Amino acid sequence: MQKIVEVKNVEKIYGKADEKQFKALSDVNFEVQPGEFVGIMGASGSGKTTLLNILSTLDTPTSGSVKIAGQDITKLKTNEMADFRANKIGFIFQDFNLLENLTAYENIALPLALQNVSPKKIKPAVTAITEKLGLTEILNHYPTELSGGQKQRVAAARALVHEPSIVFGDEPTGALDSKSARALMDTMTKINQEDNVSILLVTHDPFSASYCDRILFIKDGEIGQELKKEDSSRGEFYQEILDSLGTFVE
Amino acid sequence: MLNKLALSGIRHRMRDYTVLFSGLIIASAIFYMFLSLAINKTFLSSNSPAAATAFIFGFGIILLAIITIVYINYANSFLLSMRQKEYGMFMMLGAKSSKISRMIFVETFAIGTISTLIGLAIGIIATKYVSQMVISALDMQVKHFDSFYLPALIWTFVFFILLFIFSAIRNSITLRRTKVLTLLHKDSQPAKIKRNGALKVIQAIIGIVFLAIGYYVMWYMGKNALFIYLGVPIALVTIVIGTYFTINAAITAVISMLKRNERFAQKGLNNFTLSQLSFRISDYTKILSMVSIMFALALGAITVGLGFQNQIDTVVNGQNYYDVAVHNADTAQKSRINHLSGDDQFNYSYKADDKGKVLYYRQSEFKKQPFHYEAFNMKSMIATTKKSSNIADPNVSYSMLQNMMPKYRMSQVKMVSDAEFDKIQAKTDTLTLVKTTSFKDNLSKIKAISKEESKRYPELKQAGGDKYSAYTLINGFFSGLEFMGFFLGIAFLAMLASCLMFKILSGANGDVKRYNMLHKIGTRQKMLRSTINKEIAVLFAVPAGLGIIHVLLGLQMFKGILYKPYTHIEIPFGIFIVLYLCYYFLTRYLYKKIVLK
Repeated sequence: MQKIVEVKNVEKIYGKADEKQFKALSDVNFEVQPGEFVGIMGASGSGKTTLLNILSTLDTPTSGSVKIAGQDITKLKTNEMADFRANKIGFIFQDFNLLENLTAYENIALPLALQNVSPKKIKPAVTAITEKLGLTEILNHYPTELSGGQKQRVAAARALVHEPSIVFGDEPTGALDSKSARALMDTMTKINQEDNVSILLVTHDPFSASYCDRILFIKDGEIGQELKKEDSSRGEFYQEILDSLGTFVE
Repeated sequence: MLNKLALSGIRHRMRDYTVLFSGLIIASAIFYMFLSLAINKTFLSSNSPAAATAFIFGFGIILLAIITIVYINYANSFLLSMRQKEYGMFMMLGAKSSKISRMIFVETFAIGTISTLIGLAIGIIATKYVSQMVISALDMQVKHFDSFYLPALIWTFVFFILLFIFSAIRNSITLRRTKVLTLLHKDSQPAKIKRNGALKVIQAIIGIVFLAIGYYVMWYMGKNALFIYLGVPIALVTIVIGTYFTINAAITAVISMLKRNERFAQKGLNNFTLSQLSFRISDYTKILSMVSIMFALALGAITVGLGFQNQIDTVVNGQNYYDVAVHNADTAQKSRINHLSGDDQFNYSYKADDKGKVLYYRQSEFKKQPFHYEAFNMKSMIATTKKSSNIADPNVSYSMLQNMMPKYRMSQVKMVSDAEFDKIQAKTDTLTLVKTTSFKDNLSKIKAISKEESKRYPELKQAGGDKYSAYTLINGFFSGLEFMGFFLGIAFLAMLASCLMFKILSGANGDVKRYNMLHKIGTRQKMLRSTINKEIAVLFAVPAGLGIIHVLLGLQMFKGILYKPYTHIEIPFGIFIVLYLCYYFLTRYLYKKIVLK
């Protein structure tokens, strides 16, 4: 089967040749299979945000190749990158990034409108995803009228509504209380399992990470350890993550 | 150390500061330019045909002062919006709020003083060139006008310095009162949502009713000039209120109607643009209504000013059908006449009796070339061109005698056959009358001919009679008014368009995050640009549209004073739209520089 994400020898260096250079990523290699729920963990400054930016075409690697759904995204032009993000990628950010002058419904419908999907098709698509995420009641509310958990679920609905190849989560639970965080992760797991949506999560929070099938640890721009959940329960996996963080960070 | 940091902060935002500086410089330059006219009593009294001019200029000063205050206010909030995050950071690092408020005071005051001084210098230079340009472009005659006028200089300086002291005090108080956290996160403060449909409907109705009253009053004033003392204040108040409510409610209604139209709203970023606008409108109501009123005043001033210019043509053309009258043309004059465009030449021979009491003309010549004259209808105030072969008719002979030598102007006119004409024992003189395709286009050539005639026959100098002397008289009369209208109009436009620009740019920092998010979820740059263009276009178009309607209906007011106030209205409108578009393009360029990567 075709891999969803295929990263080969990716390197990212900041700074021009004649300036002091900084290597944010060096020789990163990994893959994500369809329907996989993968976490990338690392401390601040480890390179996880750089990696996510490259995966989501917001930044380009200095060398190496990144294929998403079979397409080499490092060779795309600016407009193609934008279209690629609009069609193939769903985003969930730490600070929700909802537009506060649009209602929940309008926020969710935005990616479809951007793709010029006809209004007739927009409504059923939005209804389907909002029913799944339990947002039907709050569709006409503006973001400022919603709680943090609700906002993040709206953001999740926005990330999923156009059925992207992969959803990228950038610390999606970072701004949530523990209860909302748990609810969000449950929802993401449900979507991952029921609809076979591939998810790539970047986080430094072991709790969120424990929902993943597989975790890649990144440190100083290099992927070190890899941890697989396999048959262990979430509780056990959480413990495993804590253990490896303990050894990995030192 | 903090001062050094603050200075480096300024260096990093040089572009924004350049906009701010140039805006303030332009404001003080304009203020000086206007004052140098408005309080120059010798200039006013020697150029204005009416005693009302001093009053009109006084009114102009008040309006300009108000718009300047508002303008400085917006420029100042633009400054504060640029600086508060940095000052918030200094405070978070432990700078005392008294120190910070002193810094912002000094910064505001320094920016104000420097820009005022530069503005005054530019004002003096600009006054010289702009006035020369306007004067020559319009062929006006302006006397006692000096670009350097000390009282204007002093007043402008005092006025601006006072304004900046107030702004500086306000900024320092604002900064001292605001919490550090609010300063740091000013950009991410959520906008308030108001849902009050019923109130909006009432507002929309009130707005339109008030506008209707205002428009009616202006129309009524055009018919009853005496009503002006009551009418002007009524129109001002009703139109201001009407504009405010119309923008606040009616425009919002249009936007929400568009939002409900799914086919339109759910296409690309339309919904986002509409929402941006509907959130903005309530915040922008004040400035948009102010801009539309000022826009109307400015456009009105230019239109009326140019209306006087058109008046010149009408009045001059009503004076005499023929553009040139030459007596006993010599070869030099003949060649000048032949250089006129599309010359329709009429040569009439005449003889005078020995006392000059009776003038004899050849009947045959008038049969061949009927005489044209302007018949003035006192009731409609319109002159119509007529032609006649019967020069003895008193109406016709009156117009003919105007073209004659001064000594013959009271004579009796007789038409005779060629045989009788030849029998009269007197010298034959000829009068050459020329009608060109356009008096205005041939002005310089006609001027040369007229000057030469006065040289050949000095008695013509005092008596005038030809079209060119009528023109110089009337032109001098109207030029003062026209100059004022032009000046006021352009000054206002420049100020109000940059008010709008600063208001929009002040909000730009808050939009950075939104556009960044749209970029992340895959919106093409082109689409982002186009949504910015649309949004700013609407914010510019709303006041311009309302302002144009105000002017079109407001001109009714001048129906009593101006003959056909709507003629050539495309000229002032054209000038305005071009200038306004320049501001629109500048604003959207700067906005994109701030918002997009």
